Amino acid sequence: MKRKLVCIVLSLPLLLFLVWGTWTTPKVWAQEKPFYKGKTVRIIVCCTPGGFYDRWARLFARYLGRYIPGNPDFIVQNMPGAGSLIATNYVYKVAKPDGLTIVMPLGQIYLDQFIGTKQVRFDIRKFHWIGTQEKSHMVLYMRADAPYKTVEDILKAKERPKCGSSGTASAGHIVPKVLEEGLGAKFKIVSGYPGGSEIDVAVERGEVICRGMTIPPHFGREPFITWHKRGFDRHIIQTGRKRDSRAPDTPTIYELMDQYKTPEVNRRIVSVLTGSGELGRPFAVAPGVPPDRVRILRAAYAKALKDPQLLAEAKKGKMDVDPTPGKEVQALVNRVMNQPPEVVERVKKIMGR
Amino acid sequence: MIEALISGLLQVLAWPAFGFLLFGAAVGFMVGILPGLGGLATLALMLPFAYKIQEPISAFCFLLGMHAITGTTGDITSILFGIPGEGTAAATIMDGYPMTKKGEAGRAMGAALMSSLVAGLEGALILALSIPIMRPLVLFFGSPELFMLAILGITFIASLSGSSLAKGLLAGGIGLMLAAIGVDPQTGTLRYTMGTLYLWDGLSLGPVVVGLFAIPEIVDLAVRGTSIAEAKIDKIQGVMEGVKDTFRHFWLTMRCGMIGIFVGALPGLGGGVSQWMAYGHAVQSSKDPTRFGKGAVEGVLGPGAANNAKEGGNLIPTVAFGIPGSSAMAILLGAFLIVGLNPGPEMLTKHLDITFAMVWILVIANVITAGVCFLFLNQLVKITFVRGSLLIPFLLMFVFLGSFAAHNNFSDIVVTLLFGLLGYFMILFEWPRPPFVLGLVLGRIAENYLWISTDAYGASWLIHPTIIVIFFITVATIGYSALKRSRREEGAVSYKEG
Repeated sequence: MKRKLVCIVLSLPLLLFLVWGTWTTPKVWAQEKPFYKGKTVRIIVCCTPGGFYDRWARLFARYLGRYIPGNPDFIVQNMPGAGSLIATNYVYKVAKPDGLTIVMPLGQIYLDQFIGTKQVRFDIRKFHWIGTQEKSHMVLYMRADAPYKTVEDILKAKERPKCGSSGTASAGHIVPKVLEEGLGAKFKIVSGYPGGSEIDVAVERGEVICRGMTIPPHFGREPFITWHKRGFDRHIIQTGRKRDSRAPDTPTIYELMDQYKTPEVNRRIVSVLTGSGELGRPFAVAPGVPPDRVRILRAAYAKALKDPQLLAEAKKGKMDVDPTPGKEVQALVNRVMNQPPEVVERVKKIMGR
Repeated sequence: MIEALISGLLQVLAWPAFGFLLFGAAVGFMVGILPGLGGLATLALMLPFAYKIQEPISAFCFLLGMHAITGTTGDITSILFGIPGEGTAAATIMDGYPMTKKGEAGRAMGAALMSSLVAGLEGALILALSIPIMRPLVLFFGSPELFMLAILGITFIASLSGSSLAKGLLAGGIGLMLAAIGVDPQTGTLRYTMGTLYLWDGLSLGPVVVGLFAIPEIVDLAVRGTSIAEAKIDKIQGVMEGVKDTFRHFWLTMRCGMIGIFVGALPGLGGGVSQWMAYGHAVQSSKDPTRFGKGAVEGVLGPGAANNAKEGGNLIPTVAFGIPGSSAMAILLGAFLIVGLNPGPEMLTKHLDITFAMVWILVIANVITAGVCFLFLNQLVKITFVRGSLLIPFLLMFVFLGSFAAHNNFSDIVVTLLFGLLGYFMILFEWPRPPFVLGLVLGRIAENYLWISTDAYGASWLIHPTIIVIFFITVATIGYSALKRSRREEGAVSYKEG
């Protein structure tokens, strides 16, 4: 009983001190103390641990704090599922828009809003984009021993080349569709593989002969390094506006559309389908975040991307760096989303809705 | 090759690599026992250390050592509390937990650990032996073959059905049906998602299995009002009994290990499959399948062996193609790049010593875990004699943290509760649960590979020679188990008459 009393007596002043502290802090010190001091910023990642999205988030989590006044702590939270809709909805609708929650959605997240997916709770154009550190343009690779050496061969062929895909939202589905929409080529898309790696094995086995995928891994890891040494595959097209330095002989879809005089509507469809390449793996905060905090985050992001240590780590992890600042990402998103109804309808059909 | 084998071992045993191995083992042990942080998430968290470690062997000692151990320790919670450490490690519960209830926790743990160790060594050995034939082996199994393997797996439903074949088939059918939930990869159609985003990716195995198996047991424990173990049996002897069991059923352990290696080596089948196939095999090959589910030690040996052996199998495509055999291997692939290695054919030529070092890491990590577990086993087993009412709050925390870790999503908990209810009623009305899980695990795989096979080959895949072989194995399996079932029933009748 006595001990209890002592405890209460001792804890009372402490409690009072705490209450006083929280009461006065915002009023008295708000001016001098940077907002981010002593705070923890969460990065909500679209995807499961270990992939490139997750690895970028964790890399930034270790560097961003150094460039924000007040040096906040960073933690990464994985919120995988539904093609990153869960994470994106959460940050837009549920999390407090105080600049302490950053989202890293899939690059193609805008497509869900574009085709009018019911569960979308956000307007992609209203996010404050912090930036993207890379581009993820795509390439269509084809077995070199297949009879299709160029787009011309595919256009003339009687039998459609079989390309592997893991679902309608994957590059394996989108790249062949880009060729169909932009140039009128025809493919047989074999869908249902659990992931890209399984398709690569299927290509080695000859079950399918082609696959659309993002460029960085195609030139960064196995089995492709060996493939390129052996001359096992060929690159039919790439989806960027400029040719990637690693595939200087592969035409871009835009060059080919000029050559084949593709009509405007189809060009727009292609630009929507390939827009994720420009977006790469972007970061954003919710619309309600105060502008000064958006500015701080954007500046810190840009500085972190110049940090030689971060760049060295990225290089070692075969993570490409080719940044686009937040403001440009914003413009990019607006451009891609602003399309006439016929384009929307066509893209809906391509995505299976 | 011998040179590389020895050089690999020496590099693992050299300082500081061996220190990293011990450290990784310690971390893996903690993570494996505690709920809420899966082995995968830990691996991803620890990946940046590879930047600092730099030296490939030390980095793998740390990461692979840690990973090898989380698999084994997951079995501990399955056996002691009926709560699977990870969704893929659930088959051990089927007989492990009933053994604990009988007071044989020590024996079950001994059996699980020893079979893990034996099969882990087997996996490492097969990995080493298969190095020259890795590529053709993986390439041999195309989508039609994977489809037929899934079908073969589904036929295990018959032997897992227990007393009533009809109930087993129905439960398996419901499992297959629930596997259809999610975005269909062919057309992008949303199937049975009921307007929620959570179901887009289908039901995830972890929360379902935790609910199905752990919740009913906790309810049962609360109702009984006793400790988990109902009978007291000398503990120390129990552990040794389990060790001996592994050698009594040595060939079963080896066969289940082979299943684990085989399934692990084929990219595209996933981790959940091997344990259940091994369990199905253990039931099927037993002389008296009625003992299963009630605490038959073979039911612990089979899954325990498969679970650990698959790590060796998973490394086969990772090393030979640079193609990850599992999600954990995908993370390790990142580590390969960071330490400046290119997983792929180079690993079989220029860096063969590193490949063998990985084999040795698996071996040594398994020996260390088994050793440490045997040291603490008696203390752990004591928990099962604690009064249930004191344990239940902690068990519930384990359950919900564990299932929440699947997606960090509240819906994980809802799924756990719903399937907990389903599991409770399934026990009440004597419906077998393993066929249900098997259906759920294999449904998606079978469906996808059927689509792919037909899309890629038309109908011609039906006459591939390997397909015909697997088809006859499947028919033989069904025939054999039907024959055994009818004999058993006859036997039962004549016994009654006699």
